[in-house]
Amino acid sequence: MQFDKPATTNPIDRLKVVGQPVHRIDGQLKATGRAKYAYEWHDPNVPYVYGYPVGAAIAKGHIVSMDVSAAKEAPGVLAVVTALDVGERKKGKFNTAKLFGGSEIQHYHQAVAVVVAETFEQARAAAALVRVEYAEEIGAFDLKDAMKTAIKPKDVGGAPPDTAVGDFDGAFKAAPVSFDATYTTPDQSHSMMEPHASIAVWDGEALTIWTSAQMIDWWRSDLATTLDVEKEKIHLMSPFIGGGFGGKLFLRADAVLAAFGAKAARRPVKVALPRPFMVNNTTHRPATIQRVRIAAEHTGKITAIGHESWSGDLPGGQLETAAMQTRLLYAGENRMTAMRLATLDLAEGNAMRAPGEAPGMMALEIAMDEMAEKLDIDPVEFRIINDTQVDPEKPERPFSHRDLVSCLRLGAERFGWSDRGRPASRREGNWLIGLGVAAAFRNNLLVPSAARVRLDHEGVITVETDMTDIGTGSYTIIAQTAAEMMGVPIEKVVVRLGDSRFPVSAGSGGQFGANCSTTGVYAACVKLREAIAQKLGFNSEDATFENGEVRSGNRSVPLAEAAGSEGLAGEDTVEWAKLADSHQQSTFGAHFVEVGVDIATGESRIRRMLAVCAAGRILNPITARSQVVGAMTMGVGSALSEELAVDVGRGFFVNHDLAGYEVPVHADIPHQEVIFMDETDPYSSPMKAKGIAELGLCGVSAAIANAIYNATGVRVREYPITLDKLIGGLPDVT
Amino acid sequence: MQQTGRIRLILNDEDIVLDDVPATGTLLDWLRLRRRLTGTKEGCAEGDCGACTVLVGRLLDGDLVYESVNACIRLLGSLNATHVVTVEHLAAPDGALHPVQQALVDHHGSQCGFCTPGFVMSLYGLWLASDRPGRPEIEKALQGNLCRCTGYEPIVAAAEAVAATRPSAVFDPIERTRADVKEKLAALAPRQTIRMGEVGNRVVIPADVGALAEVLAAEPKATLVAGCTDVGLWVTKQMRALDPVVFINHLQELQAIERSDGGLTIGAGVTYTQAFAALCEMVPALRPLIDRIGGAQVRNMGTIGGNIANGSPIGDTPPPLIALGATLALRATAGRRELPLEDYFIEYGRQDRRPGEFVESLFVPAPAADDRFAVYKLSKRRDEDISALCGAFRIALDHAGTVTYARLCFGGMAGTPKRATHVEAALRGKPWTEATIVAAAMAFEQDYTPLSDWRATAAYRMLAARNLLMRFYLETTGETAQLHRFEEVA
Ligand SMILES: Cc1cc2nc3c(=O)[nH]c(=O)nc-3n(C[C@@H](O)[C@@H](O)[C@H](O)COP(=O)(O)OP(=O)(O)OC[C@H]3O[C@@H](n4cnc5c(N)ncnc54)[C@H](O)[C@@H]3O)c2cc1C
Ligand code: FES
Ligand code: FES
Repeated sequence: MQFDKPATTNPIDRLKVVGQPVHRIDGQLKATGRAKYAYEWHDPNVPYVYGYPVGAAIAKGHIVSMDVSAAKEAPGVLAVVTALDVGERKKGKFNTAKLFGGSEIQHYHQAVAVVVAETFEQARAAAALVRVEYAEEIGAFDLKDAMKTAIKPKDVGGAPPDTAVGDFDGAFKAAPVSFDATYTTPDQSHSMMEPHASIAVWDGEALTIWTSAQMIDWWRSDLATTLDVEKEKIHLMSPFIGGGFGGKLFLRADAVLAAFGAKAARRPVKVALPRPFMVNNTTHRPATIQRVRIAAEHTGKITAIGHESWSGDLPGGQLETAAMQTRLLYAGENRMTAMRLATLDLAEGNAMRAPGEAPGMMALEIAMDEMAEKLDIDPVEFRIINDTQVDPEKPERPFSHRDLVSCLRLGAERFGWSDRGRPASRREGNWLIGLGVAAAFRNNLLVPSAARVRLDHEGVITVETDMTDIGTGSYTIIAQTAAEMMGVPIEKVVVRLGDSRFPVSAGSGGQFGANCSTTGVYAACVKLREAIAQKLGFNSEDATFENGEVRSGNRSVPLAEAAGSEGLAGEDTVEWAKLADSHQQSTFGAHFVEVGVDIATGESRIRRMLAVCAAGRILNPITARSQVVGAMTMGVGSALSEELAVDVGRGFFVNHDLAGYEVPVHADIPHQEVIFMDETDPYSSPMKAKGIAELGLCGVSAAIANAIYNATGVRVREYPITLDKLIGGLPDVT
Repeated sequence: MQQTGRIRLILNDEDIVLDDVPATGTLLDWLRLRRRLTGTKEGCAEGDCGACTVLVGRLLDGDLVYESVNACIRLLGSLNATHVVTVEHLAAPDGALHPVQQALVDHHGSQCGFCTPGFVMSLYGLWLASDRPGRPEIEKALQGNLCRCTGYEPIVAAAEAVAATRPSAVFDPIERTRADVKEKLAALAPRQTIRMGEVGNRVVIPADVGALAEVLAAEPKATLVAGCTDVGLWVTKQMRALDPVVFINHLQELQAIERSDGGLTIGAGVTYTQAFAALCEMVPALRPLIDRIGGAQVRNMGTIGGNIANGSPIGDTPPPLIALGATLALRATAGRRELPLEDYFIEYGRQDRRPGEFVESLFVPAPAADDRFAVYKLSKRRDEDISALCGAFRIALDHAGTVTYARLCFGGMAGTPKRATHVEAALRGKPWTEATIVAAAMAFEQDYTPLSDWRATAAYRMLAARNLLMRFYLETTGETAQLHRFEEVA
């Protein structure tokens, strides 16, 4: 299916199942512990053995030699495979750092060996016996230094690194009120609850692999490249995933090590990356340094807006696109954005939930608060004054649908925004109380997605697509889509996901999963409807599918009967034509936060949070709300506690575990509320939905920062906002 | 080593006999890899996330109590004479979910689902402990469980719904077998010392405290394991080999809590959970600290004995215990000796524990009725976090308002838990006024030279220590009230 015209009325608009608060269909499996994650696949007749990884102990250099004799002789050891044994490998398309192979060390904890033994304890004990001699080289680990030699890449994910409209410098100098500040965001870890894990089983040249992957086809292709086998020989499965947040988008070392280990040991091998490997072996969200400049008239109208961002990555890597949203979010005739990439020899920086916008909004939305204060205009009003209904860099391009203003107004009213006072003006006992606001913004991305839908003689609809459910609720919304399209109750739908034998979907990432994968299912259902109609001799245009029957004129046939003993199937891929060129598609929202800060110690506690979201049709208010609330919670972590501490001498992240990398615990999270604007966006897809999963994270940390400022009068521009950064500036205790 | 005895326990509804337990084998690996009970998850292998939560039932003063624990850092050898209950045991034989499971489904408390079995078990532990838990109890029960997806609120909502609508009769796997299990566990308590494994991999479960002293006399380098909440991490994070491992968590003689007029004697094997109940009864001001040590699972395993014995400068119990004037009893085959707790900590990494000695008990004197006492824990994240600093304050005033007694102790300010003797001196004999506080606060610089690390900078620690003294003063004068979330919990 080519989606090339805005959607008109279609069967989804009936909203009998889609849009309804349908409970997660996999809830029972999860509450009973029966959902099987990657490491848990088990055939009692298969003699699985265990692989334990060895990570590099230096950040940059070469392996001079490896001594594995002690490890090989340790009890239970079946094989030791080293990076030197497997040699240089071709790197997958999506990886920046190599995962395994060759003597070069690009970052700390890069895999240098895997030890395979009969039991897990034996493998772990023997891994400690592997001796490696390194030739260490000097690396770059400090973004503040490395930014001085940062480069301008040719393009950033298809967009230019720099944009400029009008005369930014001139307008900035000429404006009556202007503001210029620099913000920093730290390296952050996805820290999903399930660490990376894979099981590899070889049968001759064919490899079966169970793993924890957000993108089945990307993993499969890159694994084929790295192992140098044909892609068709790899069968990759990932039906349940214990969270990803971007950390499982790209092939990871566990899969590669399991495959090599299994080959060497001639046994099926399980490899899990220990929790500390998640930080230094896999990817993370890179730190940024961002400069934001805003100039305005006294009325609050922005005349110039500029956003520059620096981030680092390994050579050949990518930058964090933190200035991207500033091209679209606010009006202003004179504008500039620029993004630069520094070389750092830390583990690979890459996508984490809402890459670009998440850190970008952390800076931009504090700057908007600071500028509003300078102008003495309420920060909600300041944002409304500068709303735009067109792409401000290309005014001929309207937004497909943009309702930021309503989000701000409704949120302000519901939250009691008018109670907000001057900075450091409200105190209750030990607590200084403050309110903060920020806009939320995230683009809506469109990725091709395919599915296959089958109808059997019992009237059961089975959907197969390689889409993944990383906790997002894909199983449920896909079942809803198929039920709506085929006019059956949801109990009649079986959804099978995360298997490379199924048609290639959009996968889970960039908040495109829900809209794109359900559209793929929609397209396949259209095909199935046609097949059914054709078989019955109905005109597919006027056949209606309802109550388990297909009806045309006064004839109606139960689906089970229509299927016949053979059953019927439909398969299709949605391709996105150029609609996104003529109309900018984005999602919008507003975050409101109330905090308390302890006047004696600087401890911050969130007291209330509200998000208002405008993101097209909400396919399932339960799963959508879950996404937003979860994202807001992640935003609390990134505002207050999450920070990978870099050892700039040795070149690694020090706090590489959940004891040191502090994600929010439930006592950190107070009452959270989410309101969805009732809207549809026909430009986005036949589902008229857009992404929601990342929007909830974009802006929320800045709203917290702004609330802390309002509470204390202390402006912190370096995240996370920890107690030590506040305490010096707090008012007197007495 | 000659094998004597075996480890016996009950797993769900199966009697288990083990005669080959690796010294550093964890309960979680045994469950998942050997028993194929994969409902229990591994999220971190360090006690932080709670994905591995299971319940362990044990006899305590003749009662059968079930507590949530972290299977990832609990060594298998510590489970003799216990009943281990995993998530697989919860649903009824017909597949009907237990109400705590059903509530998580109904309230969307599960997204990726990886944390869910752990939350189920924590909620089930709460279900057993309390009929109608309120919000504060729920929050305490869930403190040790992390979820990266849901944002927690749906999980708390599920727990509140269970509390509000608790059905009177449900299939409850533990209640069903309580009498039977109690009888079985009583029969499993070791009558002789259990020993197994070869040199390099030995497990010893002494029959009683006398046997423990003898084992330690013969093997002074043995690793004692009480609650495993430190030792478990040596294994899973540092990959240390330990030999022999001597378990003491089962020793009833070390479990005693004795109340006397003068104070409280707490056995070294008493868990945080049990000890805190008694301690908070005597010193209610300890409550806000105690509710923030680890999560419920860590408090159900960890001991104050271990928190002291490990000698850590950031352990949370030594500062208040030193401020309260606690003394420690150490025991060896040669006998028993007592010393003030503060003298036990010599310098970073070095304690006054002689070869063959173990911590037997702790005596905490009751403060006088009108003593003022408070303790504050500061951490980057409020719950389940190691302290950046922890300060305990105790003063007595005469009727004229002059300070007659002052004892202040901080963790996180030096290489050991350490008293602020200069500040104490600057308070003693002075009127309890703001001016005295402001002057005394300057003396912190003579007492401490704190470090900068990623938990806090030296400057922050110093300033916060001063501010805490000011806060303590204001609270004693009633000018500000403490605000915290768990104050209502009895
Ligand atoms: C997730 C998590 C969170 C935590 N949070 C906190 C916190 O907030 N605050 C805090 O202070 N601590 C915290 N801790 C650490 C704390 O739980 C431990 O210090 C605990 O008190 C140790 O007791 P245990 O019985 O578990 O000791 P074990 O691990 O069994 O032993 C600890 C040490 O003490 C020795 N030992 C134990 N008993 C004796 C004895 N009777 N005689 C001599 N030596 C003995 C052992 O040999 C070992 O060296 C946390 C730990 C974890 C895993
Ligand atoms: S696995 Fe995280 S606490 Fe045990
Ligand atoms: S549901 Fe994913 S971690 Fe809790």
